[in-house]
Amino acid sequence: MTTLLDVRNDLATALAGVAASVYPVAPEAVIPPACVIIPDSPWLESTLINGAVTKVKVNFVVTAAVANNSNSGALDQLEALIISILGAMPSGYVVGDVQRPSIISVGASNLLVADLNVSTYFTQINT
Amino acid sequence: MPTTIVTGRDITFTIDGDDFDAQATSAILTIESTINTYQTLDGKAYYTTDTQGTFAVEMLADWPAGGSLCNALWTAADTAPNTPLAVVFTAASGSVFNFDVQPIFPSAGGTAPDAQTVSLSFTCVTTPTL
Repeated sequence: MTTLLDVRNDLATALAGVAASVYPVAPEAVIPPACVIIPDSPWLESTLINGAVTKVKVNFVVTAAVANNSNSGALDQLEALIISILGAMPSGYVVGDVQRPSIISVGASNLLVADLNVSTYFTQINT
Repeated sequence: MPTTIVTGRDITFTIDGDDFDAQATSAILTIESTINTYQTLDGKAYYTTDTQGTFAVEMLADWPAGGSLCNALWTAADTAPNTPLAVVFTAASGSVFNFDVQPIFPSAGGTAPDAQTVSLSFTCVTTPTL
C-alpha cells in the first residue's frame, strides 16, 4: 500500500463480499444496505520514531446502513450486516466496538445505521 | 542560544544491521552507574565502580517469516544466544551511540482486539560510545 487512498480501497475490497454496497468514501447518495468507510476522530495518530518516515495509526469508522422500513426488520438486517462486516475484516486491522444503532435521514429515506470503529497502521517512506 | 528540542521523531536505530524504524514506537537507552559513597574526614568522596546499559524497545509485532524483525530476533536468541548484536542508535542527527546487546527472545501474542506489540529490554554488553 502506498497511499492512504490505497488503505481505504483495500479495506473496501476486503468488505466487498458482504451483502451491501461498499463505499470507500462518503457517497453523495447512499443505496441501502450500505457499508461506508469514513475517517474517525482522531483520524491519524503519529507513532513517532524517525521523522524521515511518515508512520501513523489510521482510524476509520465503518458505517453499516440499512433501510428503516420496519423496526424489527431493519434491526435484524443491521445485525446481520454488522456480523458479516466483522467476519470480513482483513488481517492487520484492530477491530473496536460497534456503537448503538440510530436513525438518520438521507434524502427522502430513513436509514438505520451503526458505526464500527477500526484502525490500522500505515507507513509512508518519503523518497 | 536558542532552545534545542529533539523528539522521538529524531530517533533511528538498527539492531544487527536491521532497520527497526518502521515497527518501533519507542526506543530508550539508559546507562545506570553504580556509585560508592565514602564518608571521609574531609567530607564525602564518590567513586564509580560500574556502569550497566539497558536498551528498551517497544515495537509492533511483525511475525510473518521472511524479513520479519521479530523472527530475526528470535533466531538470533535461539541459534547464537551468546553472540552480541551490534546496535547503532541515533538519538538525534549527529548523536550516534554504538554498542552491543545480548540477544533476547521477543514476546509473542497479545490481547484482542489490539495490535500485537513486543516489549524488549536488552542488556548492553559493551558501554555505549558516543
